[in-house]
Amino acid sequence: MTRPVITFENVSKEFKLSKLRVRSLQEMFVSMFKKELRGKHRFWALKEVNFTINAGETVALVGTNGSGKSTVLKLISRIIDPTLGIITVSGRLSALLELGAGFHPDLSGRENIFLNGSILGLDRKEMTKKLDAIIDFADIGEFIDVPIRNYSSGMQMRLGFSVAVHVEPQIILVDEVLAVGDYNFQLKCLNKIREMQKQGVTILFVSHDFEEIQKLCDRAIWLNRGEVMAEGSTDDIIKAFMDIYQSKEGQDSFPQSGVIPIVEQNMVTSDVGI
Amino acid sequence: MVTVEKNAATLVISANKHLPLLARLKYMLRGIVVRLEDLWHYRELIRNLVTRDLKVRYRNSVLGVMWSLFNPLLMMMVFTLVFTVLTPHFDVPNFPVFVLCAILPWNFFSASVIGSIRSIVDNSSLVNKVYFPREILPISIVLANLVNFLVALIALFALILFFQIPLTIWVFLLPAVIAVQVIFTIGFGLIMATANVFYRDTQVIMEVVMMAWFFFTPIFYSLAILPRSYEIWGVSFDVARWVRIVNPMASIIDNYRTILYGIGQGGAPPDFYFFMRTLVTSLIVLLIGASIFYRYSRSFGEEV
Ligand SMILES: Nc1ncnc2c1ncn2[C@@H]1O[C@H](COP(=O)(O)OP(=O)(O)O)[C@@H](O)[C@H]1O
Ligand SMILES: [Mg+2]
Repeated sequence: MTRPVITFENVSKEFKLSKLRVRSLQEMFVSMFKKELRGKHRFWALKEVNFTINAGETVALVGTNGSGKSTVLKLISRIIDPTLGIITVSGRLSALLELGAGFHPDLSGRENIFLNGSILGLDRKEMTKKLDAIIDFADIGEFIDVPIRNYSSGMQMRLGFSVAVHVEPQIILVDEVLAVGDYNFQLKCLNKIREMQKQGVTILFVSHDFEEIQKLCDRAIWLNRGEVMAEGSTDDIIKAFMDIYQSKEGQDSFPQSGVIPIVEQNMVTSDVGI
Repeated sequence: MVTVEKNAATLVISANKHLPLLARLKYMLRGIVVRLEDLWHYRELIRNLVTRDLKVRYRNSVLGVMWSLFNPLLMMMVFTLVFTVLTPHFDVPNFPVFVLCAILPWNFFSASVIGSIRSIVDNSSLVNKVYFPREILPISIVLANLVNFLVALIALFALILFFQIPLTIWVFLLPAVIAVQVIFTIGFGLIMATANVFYRDTQVIMEVVMMAWFFFTPIFYSLAILPRSYEIWGVSFDVARWVRIVNPMASIIDNYRTILYGIGQGGAPPDFYFFMRTLVTSLIVLLIGASIFYRYSRSFGEEV
């Protein structure tokens, strides 16, 4: 049975370049006189991306830094909206995006569990039932009653992961976060992910650990400069990916492809500046 | 135009810039319904955020409540001193009640606006990590301040009893007046919260604006003392009328005072025409605020 739970149809995402973004009225005033600050400085982080992920699949998203993987996950979780195209998502979703899991820094871990639960649409009663399991899994000791701002990134990840997997999601997104945890916790997470796979949870997984990907994922999508380069079985994609990059002396020198900024208007330099 | 459509468990987010007008309108109406459903779905989050706010404010119950009354009561005493002892010609009966029934709603408004302005930016760690309807942030600020206001009203009623000002049947209009203020405040807060995401100095500017706004609102004076005709360049203005038209808060504050204090002998009926007018203005502000907020909240996740 293949039921699509996530589909991208010709999805494109354009970002403004934040360096040139006007942030205050003062800057706005200055930019009225500085021509080079005017105009639209934008670039496409994703270009006509198409893919479908079916229920129960575990799919890896691979690509160099800046290729748009996190952007895809943010679009799926509705944190940002596409500039063009249609995204369809069905099912309760929980996401673990890059560092920090959407916690309120002033609230304790325990209070954040409830806050997070309510964001995911669970009420206090349901969360109270899951509380012990969440705290148990995160295993951060007495820190559970300390404000999140005093947590290390690893502790935040532990709690974030624990909440994300205990709210009974139908879809879970994991973005390069497991690497932050210590060895024991990584093992625990991988076991949990396997358990969820058995329960039929759809998983979208971003990681640079190919061994991990090969063990966990059925399928992989390769993003390059905001475009889908290839899609297929995990082994094929990783092999193709390695073929291209291993010729260029090792992992450290992965080309920083990113997306080339498209400056829409000619940057006419002027001498009107103040 | 970007459209959000929700059918059963499926959520379609699509961006289509070339839709005919009628289709857009249909989508807009549908959008409002979807948004309201969304808010309802997230009611637990609203409750959580409101309690968080109140918990911080009333950390230890009794003292916390007293503390939140400290500012309005102090303001009341200062104004009473200035306008009775220092300037006796002002001659307003039961001045403490006169001024407190305006200070409390004003503080509710001012604290809500200043809180809403910062709400998105201050919660960036949530906004760029998880999805929830972003309007929940300013709305829960207004609701927390509403609870605070309702608690403070108890002190006002105690003062009314103390000065032996009779409560009239018009006091039952209080919920309606409060509702109008909440509508206006949420609408205005949504506009300001959006502006602050893109222009971070909105916050600083609005602090000054709120101070000026305070003086242009009949708080320590009454609308009745404003001139009915004032000549500038040969044109005569009805200042009292214009203050009401231009400043919805003037009408709202005046309504509180009218139904609770009247002219010092107990509540009186408010001016029906202006009451309805303010209600309509507030609804329009809410509609404008909501459309601006929804239009731009789509990019909050990448702006904060
Ligand atoms: N909020 C943002 N504003 C501007 N540019 C952004 C924003 N988020 C991501 N980008 C840009 O989009 C591109 C893709 O980023 P990302 O999806 O994070 O890549 P990956 O996760 O694959 O490393 C990068 O060039 C990044 O700089
Ligand atoms: Mg990333």
